[in-house]
Amino acid sequence: MVVCLSNNYYVCTGCALLCDDIEVELEGSSLVKVHSACRKGVARMKGCETPLECAVNGKSTDTDTAIKEAARILSNAENPLIFGHGNSSSQAQRKAIAIARKTGAYLDDTSSFCQGPIIEAILQGKLRTCTLDEVKDRADVIVFWGADPSSSHPRHMSRYSYFPRGKERQRGWEEDRTAICIDVRKSDTAEICGNNGTYIIPPGEDAEFMDALVSGLSNKVPKTSFDFDKKRILELTNILKKAKFGVIFAGLGLVYSLKDLEPLFALMDKLNSVSSFHLIPMVGQYNMRGSNHNIFEETGYVNRVKFGTEVLHGPEYSVVEALKEKAVDAALIIGSDPLSSLPLSVARYLTEIPLITIDPCQTLTSSKSDVTIPCALAGVESGGTAIRMDGVEVEMKKIIETDRLSDEEILTRILEAL
Amino acid sequence: MGFGQFLAAPEIKLKLITYRDVFQDSAKESSRFGEEYEKLSAVIRLDPKDISKLAIKEGDTVFVKNGSGKVIVKAMKSGYEEPHPGIAYMVNGPWSNALVPDDTGGTGVPKFKDIEATVQSAKGGKVTGILDIF
Repeated sequence: MVVCLSNNYYVCTGCALLCDDIEVELEGSSLVKVHSACRKGVARMKGCETPLECAVNGKSTDTDTAIKEAARILSNAENPLIFGHGNSSSQAQRKAIAIARKTGAYLDDTSSFCQGPIIEAILQGKLRTCTLDEVKDRADVIVFWGADPSSSHPRHMSRYSYFPRGKERQRGWEEDRTAICIDVRKSDTAEICGNNGTYIIPPGEDAEFMDALVSGLSNKVPKTSFDFDKKRILELTNILKKAKFGVIFAGLGLVYSLKDLEPLFALMDKLNSVSSFHLIPMVGQYNMRGSNHNIFEETGYVNRVKFGTEVLHGPEYSVVEALKEKAVDAALIIGSDPLSSLPLSVARYLTEIPLITIDPCQTLTSSKSDVTIPCALAGVESGGTAIRMDGVEVEMKKIIETDRLSDEEILTRILEAL
Repeated sequence: MGFGQFLAAPEIKLKLITYRDVFQDSAKESSRFGEEYEKLSAVIRLDPKDISKLAIKEGDTVFVKNGSGKVIVKAMKSGYEEPHPGIAYMVNGPWSNALVPDDTGGTGVPKFKDIEATVQSAKGGKVTGILDIF
């Protein structure tokens, strides 16, 4: 489904909510005011204070020279890594996949150490999901598990999941919705869910708490090794059982706590045998889910692939293992800052190999790169499509003109130069 | 320099859990090399009892280290009602990522929210700058 926008509204690329109700004020060719977006969205759309410069080996140069050098590095590498993609349009992602195919590269995105397993399970039909619009219109029991949208996706609760009055939820959060927070700490979201709706569990015990909920939903005594109050678990299972349209928003707290998704599958199966439940991953970067969809369409896998005579897939082709094992000999980073977002002990290897960064802004990774190519800021200086956290495709429009090429154009020219 | 400079500062072992913060995230969007991003990132949030054990005041700097790395950050109270001694919180960013071990058990997923580290007063040492983390 493509969401068509009226002429006056724009899409925010601050996170994977892709809020499509943004109004802006321009002065000449500059964007001076952003309305409706959250704090993070405003900061994203206004652009950074430290734009990236076009450079090769630290010396300023023109885009053509930088693109040629990037193509030379990728051609000379035996096993290049192409990583990032979460902050790129779907069109740019497809070009990155084409480059990976042509150069026999390792291709991975940030979902590799984020929501990848959940999105893969959704695309394989193993987890029942729904759209945020359905949540707004129908959801009566909303579970935030290891997720803190008040901090990570500030408009999540106000636009979709809790506060709005949807078609079947005309009495709003006060009467028509119950919000539950399951977390290791009393987050800002937990404050909204209140003491009755908040379940604080010890770190790493999410799988056991899921098992306890399955027991409670099966009318068995819900036991936990950490002695969680059984009465409270049964109160929760009663709420879950009565849900007409339930949804679990799975955050990174949940993802990182599980060794595999089996406990989550078991809980979702049980929930759907007694009531009706859906799951949506709390995707961070605006088009990380798009990257999963695009790589899945091309290869049958959502991430962690290596191109060659055949497409190889597995944890050994993940960005983390590839860098740890020093299996790659050059890297192209697009719209991502692995030196900030990966463990330093893993990311440090990037500084030992030829490194190319494409980004609108200076990053730690760009500061260590041999080639830096500035690109247009997606959703502001370039358009395209992206996939929201719930799988809905959203069209982004260009708002202002820029001299900088879009990441799609840069990748197209690198592909041509290879 | 007081007499305290010559005493070994108490050291405690903690489990670190990372989290997201919209103010820090917004500061990153503006400039990840800016003062605001450092101010909001280079912080460890502790239980008041752990602050007492470290013989420091809220706002003092501490060394946080383990086998993967070492940073100096500012120690603050977590503000959570429920006590959580032995567990500390750091916002996700380059400072916390300096401490995430590379041991993944071959899964490709580092333990971003399950980090063992020791904490000790930095005795007035300056917060590690973003470019000095390497």
